[in-house]
Amino acid sequence: MKEKKSGVIVIGVLAALIGLVLAIQISTSNVTEVGGLIPMAKVQGLEQKLKQVSAEKEAVTQELLELQEKMDEIESNSIDEDALLKSMSEDLEKYKMSAGVVDVKGPGIIVTIEDPVAAGDGVDDGYSTIMVRYELLLSMVNKMKEAGAEAVSINGNRVVNTTEISLAGNNVNINGTPTAPPYTIKAIGNPDTLEATLNIRYGIVDTMEDYDLRVSIAKQQELEIPRYSGVIKFRYASPAEKE
Amino acid sequence: MKKEKWNRKHVSLFIVSLLTGFLLIVQTQTVNGQHLYVPAKTISDYEVTIEGERQEVEKLKERLKETKEQMALYEKAAAEEWKLKQEIEQRLREDSELYAMAGGCVAVTGNGVTVTIDDGTRDLEFWEEPNDVLVHDLDLLMVVCELKAAGAEAIAVNGQRIVDVSSISCAGHTVRINGTTSARPFKIQAIGDGARMSAALVGPGGVGSYLADYVLFKVEVEDNLVIPAYTDVRAYESLSSVTAETGEGEGEKN
Repeated sequence: MKEKKSGVIVIGVLAALIGLVLAIQISTSNVTEVGGLIPMAKVQGLEQKLKQVSAEKEAVTQELLELQEKMDEIESNSIDEDALLKSMSEDLEKYKMSAGVVDVKGPGIIVTIEDPVAAGDGVDDGYSTIMVRYELLLSMVNKMKEAGAEAVSINGNRVVNTTEISLAGNNVNINGTPTAPPYTIKAIGNPDTLEATLNIRYGIVDTMEDYDLRVSIAKQQELEIPRYSGVIKFRYASPAEKE
Repeated sequence: MKKEKWNRKHVSLFIVSLLTGFLLIVQTQTVNGQHLYVPAKTISDYEVTIEGERQEVEKLKERLKETKEQMALYEKAAAEEWKLKQEIEQRLREDSELYAMAGGCVAVTGNGVTVTIDDGTRDLEFWEEPNDVLVHDLDLLMVVCELKAAGAEAIAVNGQRIVDVSSISCAGHTVRINGTTSARPFKIQAIGDGARMSAALVGPGGVGSYLADYVLFKVEVEDNLVIPAYTDVRAYESLSSVTAETGEGEGEKN
């Protein structure tokens, strides 16, 4: 009789453990690598997080702008009354433009590249087409420059001298910043030339559409492209002596 | 005896139902609310975007710190005008130097790598076309891009400095870079961490390892490379600075 009793307890405990394991398994595997049903709360949480970070970005940007304004005020007093400083500051502006550290505006085009989830089977590998084939982005930017684009940005990341588009883990890094689709590429230049270059038959837009990407191009009379957001530092290069 | 047995059953049943109830509650609490079918891609896209924004904030904070330091210098010198002017002059000079380098307006020197790419000389396999062993613009673009990702600070292809507006494109049997035509072999020079750049190119999965199957590909770590300045004048036709609202210089609007 006693043996029977302990047997029941052991089975009870085991059953409870199995139940617990199952429950944990179910609640964690709901958010799987291949997608699935996940609670709205989780999606909302992500949205919330994104908003939070964006708000912080806004706040820091504001602080930086205010400080720069103050600095400009201090400097402009001295610069205005000194010819040497004035010419130096004009040179600096020119260099800053070429280094891409100035917000710029002008006519151009906005290209949106959407990477819709394949309908039907519902199984995806967690990769976006545009990420695995990031050379399409590279090629598009190259075509834009070929068509005379004077400034380009991808998802708000200004394309400068050192801008890379590279697959790092499972996202595409641009200027060291992880990015994800949908991609918005802005280019300042002649809108007609830019649009025609991209839209040429068997051109880059056609190629992208072959990969099931949705590409749309909008011509704009005026658009703004932000500056390169990082800090520029040289560790290996130094100016060559002028001869 | 009979009564006892009944009791035991009852107790274990009670415990099991208690635990089941508990598990149910835990389960429903963790997954309450509506469910939504979300592909993994969407979630990872979200996470990547959040991470991207976070890094932007970091960059902004770094710039804020630098500006604050500069401000502190000005405030220290504010009492005397000549001192303030000196500080301003120094900042203008330093920034000019930095941005001239960043914009490719001056020639730079440093250690780095030289990559040589030429059309393949091996015999074609029967399924291949001559095109397969030729160097194309995308190959060069990928190599340049990979070098940048590995931290190259200045790059030149066949002596043409790669800047923000540089494009590389095939034009018949030649390649046009910065509006200048050049032909094979292609020599790409890059200043930066030589070991890191060469590893990125010829390591497993690197662009170089892939290209080497088709074309001639050679990477050499070299000291004291000199990379020329971008020589074209940047005549902006469409572009203008957002802040130069007052119509001062900076290109003109069309």
